[in-house]
Amino acid sequence: MARMSVTGFYAYYGENAALQNIGLEIPDRQVLALIGPSGCGKTTFLRSLNRMNDFVKGFTVKGQVTLDDVDIYSSGMHPVVLRRRVGMVFQKPNPFHKSIFENVAYGLRIQGVRSRSILSDRVEQSLRSAALWEEVKDRLNSSAFSLSGGQQQRLCIARALAVEPEVLLLDEPASALDPISTARIEELIQDLKTQYAIVIVTHNMQQAARVSDKTAFFLSGELVEMGETSRIFTNPSDERTEDYITGRFG
Amino acid sequence: MADWAETTGSAEGLSLFRRFRNLLLGALTFFFFLFAVSPLLLIVYVAWDQGKSALNWNFVSSMPSGFPLGSEGGILNGIVGSLVLVVIASALSVPVGIWAGLYLWQDGKSRSAGMVRLLSDLLLGVPSVVWGIVGFYVFSTSTGWGFHWGFSALAGGLTLGFIMIPIVTRVTEQALRDVPMSFIEGAYALGATRWQTMRSVALPGAMAGIGTGILLGILNVLGQTAPLVFTNYYNTGIPSSLVGSQGAVGDLAMQIFIYVHEPSQLLHVKAMAASLVLLGIVLALDLGIRLMTWGSRKIAGRTR
Repeated sequence: MARMSVTGFYAYYGENAALQNIGLEIPDRQVLALIGPSGCGKTTFLRSLNRMNDFVKGFTVKGQVTLDDVDIYSSGMHPVVLRRRVGMVFQKPNPFHKSIFENVAYGLRIQGVRSRSILSDRVEQSLRSAALWEEVKDRLNSSAFSLSGGQQQRLCIARALAVEPEVLLLDEPASALDPISTARIEELIQDLKTQYAIVIVTHNMQQAARVSDKTAFFLSGELVEMGETSRIFTNPSDERTEDYITGRFG
Repeated sequence: MADWAETTGSAEGLSLFRRFRNLLLGALTFFFFLFAVSPLLLIVYVAWDQGKSALNWNFVSSMPSGFPLGSEGGILNGIVGSLVLVVIASALSVPVGIWAGLYLWQDGKSRSAGMVRLLSDLLLGVPSVVWGIVGFYVFSTSTGWGFHWGFSALAGGLTLGFIMIPIVTRVTEQALRDVPMSFIEGAYALGATRWQTMRSVALPGAMAGIGTGILLGILNVLGQTAPLVFTNYYNTGIPSSLVGSQGAVGDLAMQIFIYVHEPSQLLHVKAMAASLVLLGIVLALDLGIRLMTWGSRKIAGRTR
């Protein structure tokens, strides 16, 4: 079952087409990996899914992206509502200058949740889901910046989970982390996919092979091929995909 | 700095010409540095040397008395008046300036923002005496279409406030631009509205910069005399009202100006001592704002 689906999607920065005729489905409770060389449009595509590109001047789109059959670029869905349903974690950890607790509670507070007990329940639950609770439960009130880089990234994941999104977008979430933190994030992704549709952009093909169920290969703004990860990595149908995953370019 | 020390320290392999050039430019740099900071030292030295004999607790805690007026007693009227003017000016310029800065930051590239920016730059360049005379027509004169407030604290304070607005505006905009985009995006990605993002992420992150901007504005305004000549002038006492013919306040800058013009050696010494007090207030405000924005400054330093 597809959670989001994209048909005939084009994206432009001014005159330049960054994405051309993209069509794919984002399956529920699975991990979709977007791979491709730098500048191929995979991050642009990811950020189009929760309209984060709206802040880029001159950015325009054509075509359709739907979330549960509602076009997210139509007036039927306000970007603020969309982003509460489609959460995002960025490449570099970007916790706020607040305490660990307040970072996770932020998304709830802006929705007007005031009750102390609801807040602390949800914060604990989110931190547990992000596999961070045991490490921070005794210092919820210290600054988020007292955490290590890997912990900060898991905090950002917890922060995204706290608003209970339906889809989770991860933009190279482990690229700024050491191997051990990376392994923890990957484990976490495996746990989270039982509840969420996950889309992950990654430069690291081993990572894509490890964590994803489906893989989409982007090249020069086009979707070359998408399919089961096991098939893409063993028996790609397009020659360019094969060249890329065998390391002939990119 | 480290590079500089290295190049001057290990001159071994350099040609004679380059060694000489190093030495020359180093000496020149040091000279210009001294030249740039010497006015500060000179100001403190002269004011201290000339004014210290009049400086005591009584000087800052009592009203001027004696003949000529001010030869005995102190400058309490000036201290209170300056603070009143600064409070009025800040009450006008801080909210307006921050709001305008937020607008310029949010809507930065639009044509109307460009217009606001241009106008605010023009305002920054308006000579203070022009502010004064316009302030006079708008707030103080008793004829015409203005407010008819007379020479009063409100007229003077608001004139100073309008001078401060463009300073606060531009500094606020810059401070907001210095907040890393990743924080702003982080808030938006959680479904924050534009207002929520500004209030809970952008403004707190820019607090240190905005504090500095407000301080710059206040320091500028504390030293202004020309705008006050036509709008507030001076009062030897402390008024009970902020408007009307009895509404003028004493003002340190104006007090110094008036004392120096008196043909009395004693008042010249008092003027120097009053300068020291003004310097002291400036320094205290500077340190105060730095302390208040300490946390925000520390954070900004860590993430950049």
